[in-house]
Formats: sequence, structure tokens, C-alpha cells
Amino acid sequence: MAHPPPAPQFTLRGSGAQVNTLHFCCKDPDPPLLFSGSSKGAVHIWNLTTRRAERVLEGHGGASVIWLSTLNSRNTLISQGRDMQVCTWDLSGGRCSVTDSFLTGSVGFCQCSLLETQPGRWLLAHPAAAMEEVSIVDVPSKTLVCSLKADANRGMLMCVKLWQPDSGQGPLLLAGYEDGSLTLWDVSQRKPLSRLAAHPQPVMCFDFDPVKLRGISGSSERAVISWTLDGQQSLQLQDSVQLVNAGVSHLRIREDRKIVASAGWDHRIRLFGWKRLKPLAVLQHHTDMVLCVAFSDHRDPCRRVMAAGSKDQRISLWSVYNEG
Amino acid sequence: MENMSAEAEVRLHVSQCVRTLSTSGDAEEVAHSLHTLVSYLDNESQEKISPAQRDEFNRTHYTSFLKFLVGNLKANKLQLLTSAQCSDLWDGLFLRGPPDQALLVLMDYIASSCPSAGLDRVVGVLERYLQSGRLAALLWSRCQGSFSPDSPQLRETLLGRLVSLPDLTANHLHPHNRPLFLPAQYYPLLARELSIALERTCQALREGQDCSLSFVAQLLGKACVQGHSEHMFKELAPHLSARTRSDMVWQRVCWRLMEDVPERWMESVVTGLVQAVEGPAALSRIMGNVVVKNKKAQFVMTHKLLLLQYKYKTSVVRTLLGYLAQDRERRPLLIQVLRSLCQTWANSSAVRHTPVEQQLYLSRALLVCLGLLSDTELQELRPELLQCMMGGMQCHLDNCLVRVRRVGMVVGECLSARLDTGGAKLKFQYEEDDETRELLSMMDPLPAEDAAIADRPDPSQSNKRSEIKGQSSPEEVTSLTSPVDPVRPAEQGCDSELDSDDELTPYDMSEDREMTKATPPRYLRDCMEALISSEDGERVELSLRAAEGLVRKNSSAVREVSVELTKVLLHLEDRYSTAGFLGMRQAAMVALAVTDCIPVTEYLTTEFYSLNYSLRQRLDMLEVLTLAAQELSQPITEKTRPSQGTRSAANIVPIDPCDAPLHWRKVVEQRIQGKTRRFGKGASRPPASASPNRYAPVAGFFFFPLLQKYDRPQVTFDLLGSDHLVLGRLIHTLGLLMYLAVNAPVATQMGRALLDFVWAVRYHVDQVVRQGVLFAICAVFLSMPSQNLLSELSDHLLETRAWLADVAEGDPDADCRSLALQSLVLLEKSLKAELEPPAMALQS
Repeated sequence: MAHPPPAPQFTLRGSGAQVNTLHFCCKDPDPPLLFSGSSKGAVHIWNLTTRRAERVLEGHGGASVIWLSTLNSRNTLISQGRDMQVCTWDLSGGRCSVTDSFLTGSVGFCQCSLLETQPGRWLLAHPAAAMEEVSIVDVPSKTLVCSLKADANRGMLMCVKLWQPDSGQGPLLLAGYEDGSLTLWDVSQRKPLSRLAAHPQPVMCFDFDPVKLRGISGSSERAVISWTLDGQQSLQLQDSVQLVNAGVSHLRIREDRKIVASAGWDHRIRLFGWKRLKPLAVLQHHTDMVLCVAFSDHRDPCRRVMAAGSKDQRISLWSVYNEG
Repeated sequence: MENMSAEAEVRLHVSQCVRTLSTSGDAEEVAHSLHTLVSYLDNESQEKISPAQRDEFNRTHYTSFLKFLVGNLKANKLQLLTSAQCSDLWDGLFLRGPPDQALLVLMDYIASSCPSAGLDRVVGVLERYLQSGRLAALLWSRCQGSFSPDSPQLRETLLGRLVSLPDLTANHLHPHNRPLFLPAQYYPLLARELSIALERTCQALREGQDCSLSFVAQLLGKACVQGHSEHMFKELAPHLSARTRSDMVWQRVCWRLMEDVPERWMESVVTGLVQAVEGPAALSRIMGNVVVKNKKAQFVMTHKLLLLQYKYKTSVVRTLLGYLAQDRERRPLLIQVLRSLCQTWANSSAVRHTPVEQQLYLSRALLVCLGLLSDTELQELRPELLQCMMGGMQCHLDNCLVRVRRVGMVVGECLSARLDTGGAKLKFQYEEDDETRELLSMMDPLPAEDAAIADRPDPSQSNKRSEIKGQSSPEEVTSLTSPVDPVRPAEQGCDSELDSDDELTPYDMSEDREMTKATPPRYLRDCMEALISSEDGERVELSLRAAEGLVRKNSSAVREVSVELTKVLLHLEDRYSTAGFLGMRQAAMVALAVTDCIPVTEYLTTEFYSLNYSLRQRLDMLEVLTLAAQELSQPITEKTRPSQGTRSAANIVPIDPCDAPLHWRKVVEQRIQGKTRRFGKGASRPPASASPNRYAPVAGFFFFPLLQKYDRPQVTFDLLGSDHLVLGRLIHTLGLLMYLAVNAPVATQMGRALLDFVWAVRYHVDQVVRQGVLFAICAVFLSMPSQNLLSELSDHLLETRAWLADVAEGDPDADCRSLALQSLVLLEKSLKAELEPPAMALQS
């Protein structure tokens, strides 16, 4: 007899709006922090020891915050809002001011992707003014590195991920489009390497494991699909898992590459084993769509938690499959 | 003159020896005279014996001399000889002479003497006789054309002895019988010897000699007609099939053999051969065109094996029809067979009155036949086949048995596909199972026969095996495919990778169901309203799902709306193709009938006979009534009274309505059988603890209204006419209601009414109705108090018994037969119970 699914470790309330994005920052000495971006433009910084919101940052003019990350340390935050701005925040010493910002020109939902190229320098992939275009800028200099534009019939850019492959060549970028296809771009050569028609519906989200060269993507259908990147840099469909209810809004592979979490439109968080996509758990807690999931980056794997943000304005924290 | 002298000389010589043997006590002399006689039989002996002398001896003296020998066994002459001499000389006399005479003498002796040392000796000789291939010599001697025709009497006797040797020895030797004489060993031996004789015949024919096969054919016929065809052909068929493959002389010998089988034995030979032989080509090589020439064989093969009997395996049917299809001369017979198969298949009376198994057999044969027809033949037969298809489909689909209907559908589909009616093919929806798949496979042609035969190990061809092996033989194929296994380790490698996933134990995911937008109704009236008017599939489904629980929980609210809700449910259609729709609807209706019993049953029983209901709805009504009665009849346990309803509700599994009658039938039959066995043993039943139930007081409401109007046909519903499916189910339901009313005061009246009712339909043509009737009779016998039963039945008692006995013996349906038997047993038991107590009272 299987055990009943676990209950959340804790629920963070008080964001006051639906929670669009989450970002952990737990590597530094205490306290571990969780950043959350709400649809009312606020960024909450939660102290996971006291389980209270330490600070609330208001900076996108009330427009929805759709993506958050930190640069280097907990003191520099970068956020993307639906006001077409990407802002950099200085949080050191109790400050909370926007130090820098630039206009992306994108009105879509696509989240940015950040890649550290050398200490103190990053590449940021963000959606651009043209719907199907992704721009890559150098941070902090804000100079445009390149702009990758797909065919117009791909539709809107839905999600991107930028990473540096082990082979040493230039960074690669994966982008999911509205027509359900995924495209692999070589950033240095500015050209697409491979394309995979993964879904009949728009790609809502995906995550990629650069070590195993495997990725997983979700759409508005009743399935998540995994695919691989083979030696010839071409994407191949691998597996698919049927879901009971349609719609996946976010997918995350845990850092140790053991499990994948999906945020479902059906209010549920699903966990799968990453090796074979074996369904492991269905976590029912939220009363509305789950919009994002994130795994913490604690140095001690046993303390790692998973957070899920939902449209019901709550963030749930879970401790799952942490043994060993 | 020389002949005369030879005759005299032999006679003199033999009588001299006989005299010596009977008088002399000297071992030397006895041995010498035996030796002399043996030399008459041996070609290679040194002594000068002319062929004329030998013939003379064989013809006139051999039998009488052997008789003398066995007759004098008691004189212990044999003790004078050494055992080597004994077996050489004494036994040699039997083993070297004309085999027929020797066999007759041996058999006569065995048949006429009592157990003794002499008998043992003779039995031993007979065993050696059989082992040393003398039977082949005997058969061969009869095959030779030059052989003088012997008297029919001798021939008969010899045949009789040969065929019934196992019987004869078993009868006289009792426990001392030898294993070789047992049928399982003797007949294969006989078959082997027979094939050796045939082999010699073939050789002789090649050398230009004349041969006659009539004796061998008669032997084969006689052995088969006595029921040993299986043993004979097990040995003979593979041998003949192998030999005839390339040898024309062998083929002609086989054909001649088949033609020479006397008319009266032809049937058993043909049946045996058809069953034993592998594939139509082999049969064709062995039988030749005997089916065209011999009327009897034709009748057996084209009629009896296909239309009258149905015990044979499918391969036999395939072989038989394939045989008919193989030759141009036999082809008309195939068409004739197809015609008669079609006629039978489309004959509504045959469909109604023959057992399902036979129909299945017939359908198989029909499909095989269709598969064998060529396109031109098909074009010629098209009108007839179309006619057959139309008629046959109708009577199959009319049938009440699911199995018959399904078989009909499959055959119809195949027929129409084969006829190729210009795009408009029949297509039915039926559930696929093994039976339908097997039927569908009948149309596929057989695999090439020679390939199939070549891999069969043939004892006589073991030396040829190596040759065949050189070509692609099945062994090699398997050895090629077997290295598939080494793939395994790779897979296991994957498995070890899988382990890392496995260490993450999944949590229980049973709660992961589909999201529904609506919430289930909380009140009965909401539920009803949703069912009546909602256009939202989800809401209807939720309401239906909730209905049973709501009804059971709110019994007071139910009373206000019970009839209305029943009506709604009865008319509810599965518009949104809800999963488990029928089960949920039924459960809700049953809950209603249980909670507010009288109004709902009144409603259902009246509606059963009213206008404008589909058969499905009428059957639903019956099912609901039955299930409700079943639930009500559970004993009441006082304490848990309020929860009683829900608890027994849990017992009702939502059943697929198609299976529902089977379900009751099974349950009740199990009960009946359980009881019957107990009565049969005569053991006293443990007194059942009496407890009230809720059904007894209301049984009448369930029962009598259903009996009221059965004979008033309406525009849409004619119970005694075409709607016999409903009639069968109605009677079944009544029987069940009767059964559940056991020990109720009203049981007597119910039983009386039910007996009256079923009496009228007991000879109904449809087996479903007959089954229902017998079931109802069983129920009456079980539930009615026995004294009332007798007084009720008194007029019909004998007639009923005769009828039941008749059905138990002669009904084509197996279920009917067993039910009738059950009823008979129950009736006997009631009679006994009723008649015995007074007898005992008298005695005391």
C-alpha cells in the first residue's frame, strides 16, 4: 500500500496577488531567502527561517512580475515585468532601489534566461519586440549580443533557456514557440541547429538538463513530453507521460537530476522520476492553478525544499524525496 | 502321376512322423521327426524336398498336423526336448508354415482351452508369431494375385480372428494377457504389418505381378468398424501420407485400398482416416477420388461429417473441405456441400433447434468452404449465397442467445466481404473474443501443406531427415531465432539504471482524478431537476452518481418524489455517454424501489405492460424489480436497521445489464445446486435460523401485477409473439421473485399462479423461454411448501414429471437439460417429503 501523499511543510500567505515566479537564494549563510513575484508588481522576499516576508519591493509600476533571479549574491536581484522592463536591484545593506533597467519591448509572457559567462558577467536571453524574436544582451553592460529571429509562422516566443555546453563551443539556446515547436539555436553562430515539433499546442514551459542532454516540456494538453539532444545537436522525441488533467504551467528538474516537478492547471503539483518519468506523487493543496515551482539551492541536500506558487495567492513549501 | 506319388509320399512321411511323435519316448527320435517336418517348411533345408511335396504338405497336412501338435501338448512330449530344440523345432513349425493356418490353429486352441502350461506355451508362440512379422506374411499371401480364392467362410473367420485377437485373448487369458495383445499395441502392430504388405504389393506391381487388395481392405474396414480406427490410422496415416508423396504406385495402391473397402465399413474407415491425416493434400493422395466413386463415402464426407455430426476438430473440417477442393472432379461436391451448408445455416428452424456448438461447427465449415471457393465459382453462386446471407442473418439476429447472434454476425460479415457486394459490406459491432477470432481465421487459407508435413517427425523416414535438414528446416529456424536471448543483458543494464528511479517510492496517486467544474447535488430535488432539465453533461453525470446515495439517505424525502424520480430515471438517456451510466441508473432505481417499495413497484409493474417502451426499458424494469426484491429479502438485523439499506446496497455491484440475467441465474443456480446436493445425500439440513425480511410482506406487489396482462398484445409489444426475449426474462424474473418469497405466506398463491402461467409456454420454441420456464419451475419447487405443491400439482403431477423427464433427455439446449434434471430431483424430494411422514406414522 502506497503512502498517502505528503502535506506541505509550510504555506506562505500574504503575497496579495497570484504568485507568478519564485526564486530561492539559500546558498549563503542564513537566513535562506525566497523571492516571489506577484501579478501586482510586487516582489516579496521571504525569510524561510522566520517564514515572514522581510521586504516587499515595488518596482514594475504595478505590472505583473514574471521572472526573478539574483546576480552573484542575494544582494543583486534582477526582475522582469510585464511593463516590458528588466530591472536590476541593489538590496545590500537594507537598500531596495532599482539600479538599472532596460526595455525589452516584449508584451508576451516569456521569461528571461540568465547564463553566467565569467564572474561578474552574464548573458541574458529575453523576448524582444518582435513576437518570435529572442535577444541576448550582455549584463551588466546591457549591450545587445545578438538577436535570434525565427520564422514568423512559429508564432510567439513562449519560453527560452540559455546554457553553456560542456563541449566548449558557444552557448546554446533552446526556445519554445507558440506552434508547439522547440528550436535549438547556436548563439555564437546565430543560427538554428535543430527543430522539434513537440506539441500540437503552444509550448507552455520546458526545462533542460545540460548534463544528460535531456529536456521535458509541457503544454496545454494532457501530457508532458521528454526529448533528448543527440550528438549531432538534433532534438529527438523520447517519451511522454499522460496526465489526468490538461495543462502544465511550469516544469522544473531538481538540481540532483532525480525528480521533476510540474505545476498543473488542475491545482496539483506532480512529481516524476527524471530517469524514466515514472509518476511519483500528486500533491493536492492549492485551490487554483499552480503557476510556478522551484527547488531550493541549499548546500545541504537534506534541507532542500520545493516551493510552488499558485493563483490562489499562496506559496506552498514541500519537503519531498530529500532522503539520501 | 508324379503328383499322385508326391501326395502319397508326403502322406506316408507325415503319418510316420505323427506316429513317432505320439508313441516314442525317445528324445532323439522326437527331435528327428520334428526336424523332418520343419524341413518341409524351409526352403533352405538340406533335405531334398520338391516344391510339389512342399505344396502338398502345406495344403493338406499342415493344419491337421499343427492341431495334432497342440492337441498333444498335455502328453509332455516337450519335456524330452531341450529348450533350444523346443523353440527352434516346435515353435518353428508354427512360425515357418503358412501363416494363416498357423494363426487359426493357435487362436482356436487359445479360445478352446483352459489355463495350463500348454496354453502358456501356445500364447508364447502366438506372441513370437506376432513379433516375427508373420502377420505381414499372412497379409501379403492374401494380396498375391496368384493366390487361390478361398472360401468366403474361411476368409470371414480369418478376418474375425485377426481383428478380434485382443478381445479373444483378453477373454481367455484374463490377467495373464500379454501386453502385445492389448488393443493399444496390437492395432498399431497390425497397421504396421499392413503397410509392410502394401509395400510388398507395390514392389510386386512394379515387377508386373498381379495383386489383390480386397483382403487387406476388408481387414482395415473391419478393424475400423469395430472402433479401432484411431489406433490403426495413428500408425497408418502418416506412413501412407509420406509414401504417397512422390510415389505414384503407392498412390494407386492406396486408392485401390480405399475403393476395395466394403460398403458397410466405408464410413468408419473414412471417418478414421479424415481424422488422422494431416492436411487436405495428404488426404487427397491417400483417398484419391473415392468420394466421387463410392456413394457411401460421398454421403459420409459431404453430409454426415459436416451436417449431422459436430464433434470433430476444426482441422478435420479443414482437411475434409480442402480435400474436396483439391481435384477438378471433386470440385462439384464442394459446391454441393456449400449449398447444403448455406441452406442449413439459413434455416431458421435449424438455428432455433440445434445446439449452439453444432451451429458453431457449421459456421466454421461454411467459412472454410467460402475460403476455398474460386472467384468464378463465387460469381456463379452469388445469387444463392446472397439469398442465404439475407435469410441466415435474419434468423441469427433474431435469436436470443448472444453467442448465436455473434456467430451470425461474423459469418455474415465474412459472407458479404467474400461476395464483394459493391462497397456495401455488412459490418457489425460485436465484442471480439477467441471464438470470433477463430471463426474469422477460418477464411484464411491453410499454410502450404508440404511445409507443414515436412517438419513432422516420421519414424519411417528418419534416414531422410538429414536431407531435409539441409534445407531450411524448422529446427534451424528456431536455432536462428533463439539467440534473441543474449539481448537480455543489455536490457538488464537498462534495468539497473531504472533502479535509481525505483528507489523513489511513489506515493498513493489514487486521488488524482479528473477535475470537475460542477459540484454534486446535495438535495434530492436538485438532483432530480438536474436529471430532468440539465443540458450540462457534467452536472447530469454528477447527479446520477449522487442519486443512489441521496435516495438511501433521505427516505422521507424520497417518499414524496419516488414515482416521479423513477419515471425520470427510466426515461433517462445516455446522452453524454457517461461511464457506468447503466449501472448507476439501475442502482438509483433499485434504491428507490427498496426505499419506497409499494408505489414504485406498482409503477414499474404497470409500466411494464404499457405502450411505447423500448425492449431495453422493459428489461430494465424487470432487472430493477429483481434486484430490489433481492435486496429486500436480506434478513433484517434489528440493530443495524437504519444502515441496512446502505449496507446491502454495497452488495449490489453495478452490473452490465446484458450480464444481469446470467448473474441472477448463476447465483440462484448455485443456491439450487447447493440445496440439491444436500437433498441427494439425504443429510438433514441444519435448521436455518428464522429471521424476518422486508420482502415477504410486499412480495405480492412485485409478483402478481406482472402476471396480469401477458396475453394482451399491444401495438408495440407482443409478449407471446415476437418479443420472446422479454418473455424469457419475464419468466425468469417471476421465478426469481418466487424463489425469494420462500417461507412467505403468499408463496403458495404465487406458486400456483406461476405454474399456471408457465404451463402454457412450456413448449416454447425459444430456448431462452424454455430455460426461464424450467428455472421458474425449480423456483416453485423450492419455495412452495411441499403439501401445497402436491395438492396444486395433483392433476398434472404425472404429466409434469413426464414432461420434465422428456426435456431432461431430449432438449437440444444443455442448460435446459440440466435445469430439467434439477427440477426432477427437487420434485422427487418434495414427493418423498410429503409421502413419507404418513407412512412412518402408520408404522408407528
